[in-house]
Amino acid sequence: MKNTISTPVDRLDGPEKASGRALYIDDIRPDGMLYARTLRADRPRARITDIRFPEIPDGYFIVDRNDVPSHNRIKMLEDDWPFFAEEVINHVGEPILLVVGPDREKVDSILRAIEVIYADLPPVLTIEDSLASEKPIFGDDNCFATYQFQKGDPDSTFKQSKTIIKGEFRTGYHEQAYMEPQGLIGTYTDGKLTVTGSMQCPYYVKNAMLHLTGFPEDQVQIVQTTTGGAFGGKEEYPSLLAGHVAVAAIKTGKPVKLILERGEDLAVTTKRHPSVSRYRSAVDENGRVIAMEADITLDGGAYAGLSAVVLQRALFAAIGVYNIPNVTVRGRVMATNQVPSGAFRGFGAPQAFFAVEMHMEQIASELGMNPLTFKEIHLVKQGDRTATNSVFRDRTRIREMLSRVLKMSGYRKKEGVFASHKGRFRSGIGLGIYLHGCGFTGKGEDTIQGTATIRKLAADRAEILVSNVEMGQGAQTTLRKIVATTLDLPVQNIEYPNPDTDLVPNSGPTVASRTTIIVGHLLESAAKELKARWDESETFSVSKSYRHPSYIEWDQETLQGDAYPAYSWGVVAVEVEVDTLVYETVVKRVWAVHDVGVAIDEEIIRGQVEGGILQALGYASIEVMETGNGAYLQHNFTDYIIPTAVDAPVIVSELMDNPYEYGPFGAKCAGELPIAGAAAAYAAAVSHALDIPIHEIPVKPETLIKGLKQ
Amino acid sequence: MVRSYHPETLEEALEIRSKTRCIPYAGGTDLMVRYRRGPGLVPGFDLPVMFIGQLPEITQIHEKNGEFSIGTCVPYSDIVRHRHSPEILRQACSLIGAPAIQNLGTMGGNICNASPAGDTLPVLAVLDASLTLQSVSGEREVSLLSFFKGPGKTLLRNDELLTCIHFRLPHFSAEGYRKIGTRKANALSKIAFAGFLLKEKGLLSDVRIALGAVAPTIVRSRELENRLIGQPVSDIAELMPDLLNSYAKLIQPITDQRSDANYRKTVSLRLIENFVLKEES
Amino acid sequence: MNETIQFELNGENVSIKTSPMRRLIDVLRDDFSATCVKEGCGEGECGACSIFLNGKLANSCLVAVGSIKGMSVETVAHFQTTPAYRVIEQAFSDAGSVQCGFCTPGMVLAAYALLKENVDPDETDIREAISGNLCRCTGYNMIVDGVKLAAKRGNGKW
Repeated sequence: MKNTISTPVDRLDGPEKASGRALYIDDIRPDGMLYARTLRADRPRARITDIRFPEIPDGYFIVDRNDVPSHNRIKMLEDDWPFFAEEVINHVGEPILLVVGPDREKVDSILRAIEVIYADLPPVLTIEDSLASEKPIFGDDNCFATYQFQKGDPDSTFKQSKTIIKGEFRTGYHEQAYMEPQGLIGTYTDGKLTVTGSMQCPYYVKNAMLHLTGFPEDQVQIVQTTTGGAFGGKEEYPSLLAGHVAVAAIKTGKPVKLILERGEDLAVTTKRHPSVSRYRSAVDENGRVIAMEADITLDGGAYAGLSAVVLQRALFAAIGVYNIPNVTVRGRVMATNQVPSGAFRGFGAPQAFFAVEMHMEQIASELGMNPLTFKEIHLVKQGDRTATNSVFRDRTRIREMLSRVLKMSGYRKKEGVFASHKGRFRSGIGLGIYLHGCGFTGKGEDTIQGTATIRKLAADRAEILVSNVEMGQGAQTTLRKIVATTLDLPVQNIEYPNPDTDLVPNSGPTVASRTTIIVGHLLESAAKELKARWDESETFSVSKSYRHPSYIEWDQETLQGDAYPAYSWGVVAVEVEVDTLVYETVVKRVWAVHDVGVAIDEEIIRGQVEGGILQALGYASIEVMETGNGAYLQHNFTDYIIPTAVDAPVIVSELMDNPYEYGPFGAKCAGELPIAGAAAAYAAAVSHALDIPIHEIPVKPETLIKGLKQ
Repeated sequence: MVRSYHPETLEEALEIRSKTRCIPYAGGTDLMVRYRRGPGLVPGFDLPVMFIGQLPEITQIHEKNGEFSIGTCVPYSDIVRHRHSPEILRQACSLIGAPAIQNLGTMGGNICNASPAGDTLPVLAVLDASLTLQSVSGEREVSLLSFFKGPGKTLLRNDELLTCIHFRLPHFSAEGYRKIGTRKANALSKIAFAGFLLKEKGLLSDVRIALGAVAPTIVRSRELENRLIGQPVSDIAELMPDLLNSYAKLIQPITDQRSDANYRKTVSLRLIENFVLKEES
Repeated sequence: MNETIQFELNGENVSIKTSPMRRLIDVLRDDFSATCVKEGCGEGECGACSIFLNGKLANSCLVAVGSIKGMSVETVAHFQTTPAYRVIEQAFSDAGSVQCGFCTPGMVLAAYALLKENVDPDETDIREAISGNLCRCTGYNMIVDGVKLAAKRGNGKW
């Protein structure tokens, strides 16, 4: 078999990681370093009326809003999220101030001796309360963002329909649980601020620091260190932590390190938005859905953050992979006094896919139809219109993929056999069919105008200069492969330093499954030109900036057109066995086929598929995260349960090639795709096993047992 | 900051116990979580600590004439490996934490910690385990079940050390152990069930049932078991409803971040019923 | 109260004067610059802080340094100099077992702890052996594959 770009290579960052030599931010100790700890609000909403301090010894500092050089606001979509609390705190864990000093015991004792006097304010703790609130905590109506769009004529279709099926679907909080807790170091030397640490988006952090400090561009430098997992949790949150170490470094004149302890990380950082989705579908006399209305509400927590964009992606995914001629999609993300919600792999799509997949299960069940057959007859094909009224312009192999998964899993035969089980152990098999829009929504890439640079270093060496990071997903390998293959050099001869904003252009953040399809494409293009001009000079650079393809048309006002330039697709089958004595569920096996265009490295794609699927299975089952009076009840690794190797099922996965013309070597996107569908497949499997409807995840034994038919 | 003691013999350790209030530290896997204060900070032990994990007298396992005794500081992994360990105990120990925890954690620590969810406790209860408590003034034996006064509270005096756990190796026709955890490995118990049955000549000649994590202390009742003992196996089913009602009164589970009272109670009763009637767990 | 505590670290006798209740992970990272021992949770759940204590896998975040007088501690920084490590590292590389790398040193030590006792582990044995090492990136199967491959190549010589 000839080697292609997809043929796996040894990850270049493997040996240093396996041996423990890789340096993560907490492994770095600059001379004279001070430690920072954060004093945080212990209640969901209150006015701070006083803060009483113990004696602060020399060399120890309190850092708070008064030390902010320019703006005490994290630069994001809205201007509401402060680095340090001002008069009113709006969520449990909100940072009020830092205690900074050389000895951690002393810092801890000062922290514990500080007394905050609060005047409690009534908190808004649920979506329902937020919607109903007469005294909004944000804007006029507690709504961070709301959108609506339509296709066809849903109103008339519903009016004329005799069969309308309604369902409500809920998803809970979901924690990224990267193994390396969040952390950064800030230094301030000769008027220049440098922030180093674990992050996905160096330029997001830089822009936030520019806004915080008011410093000129060349006086703010952000450097990413080896990052131990992120999954979206280190997309926007590090900007907040960066502000903390920045202000502390500026005030103290010394390097300041802030690392979140795991319990703190679990208790205060952003999680996946909980959702409540209400669906309504009109079905014709042939059992076809002719109109669907999806109404999704997300809980954004106390500050707007990226909620508006999460909502958008959820809404664009709301009709799933189905061709429905008349569609209304609407949604809103509400402010509450819960911890702010944020980015987590999938970014709204997992919530939407859970809802639409379970709604399709529901409709099939109410019509007495087989759910597989029912989903199959509605699948989109190339040329069908999307929910936002553009066209699925590229080939989709979704039907072949579904066929393949059915064959791999023995789905149809099992479906029949399992339905006849009567004993204590009940088996079930469920399907998830899904897609993921590659890159930023609509005009997002055009707004960023990402630039990627390759520099020739020597006759046989080159260097990649981008702001995208390696966070485990394999960018260090895939981007090097793209450049190496194009330049016809060995992968080892391509360098790719961890991004330093002093040295790399802004190629955009490491989010939205854009690194390969957008930045990889820019690098491929730069490499092609570099190769053509290779002998021009000993060392020189070529840069390429994003050019919005003219065929992608998008109206951000009306939310009509091409929401995404391309789609990756997936089908997953999950088989479970439920012990009906105690309602524990075991996942027996998972089968999946994905279309990511072309795999830049099959082994890396397999790693994304398996990791993403296991996260989705956790989301659907054991990863319970509930709140009580605005605080997470599961706030350590003993109580927030992620799967161990014993919980993890074998996943049999394949890829189906479907090269994308504008992706590097035909590649599309892969990072978020695998997490979109397995939660619904799990819920459907349990639903089939027990012959009960399931409309909420996580599916808990405690809930299943309440539905016991006595 | 506290001082620590490093006795080299049990005698030394008991001497220290008689003079100083201190915390006996066996494997440390519970203590180091309970007293932890965070990265770079010394755990907040509020009393002097006595390290007993390496004392030769209490790190042995013996089997003699069907009497099995386990030194208080034998790590779980050694219990799992010992060829005479009853299967039910092996199962329970191998489900505690994960290998790294099992290499350090001890049964003595599990007992003296007296958590309602202590993994070995229901198993030791159905084994009718008894505990040797030693001090400079002598030695006493107490039954495991009588040792617990409440969550975290035991009969252990400040001058005593638990030195040995022993029981007769079980000979039953059926045994059952089930830990319902928050996940399949490395998990705390929501409910733990242990049971033994002995059927002879059509009669249920012995039954022992214990539940963990569903009440302030281990649930085991010889009185309730006696209702079944001596009964013809064919009559057992009829006796179950009343028996389960009685067990329901002993099971006082809580709702917490891991599970709820309804699940704990419902499942406990189902586990009992299923084991007694079908010998399954 | 500080005490003098002597133990063996990576083959060398060392002695420190410190609080006996200090966590071994802090002693290793702060006093001996052993940054190969990582803190993922501080509560013995994730296994990122794994070391060998008297040759047995242990979570250094749960070990009070006063409890290890005279014992031997080995970190992955030392283990990586051994032939056994090289087999495991290459197997992990070939099987795609490494993504973000934070769990990997712990996985390596857990794999070795297994293979020392069981040269031909089956799937269940492997999963149980690494059940105390949490990974969020891989979904575990590629790590299990890595251990299987190491077992095959190690040929019983651990």
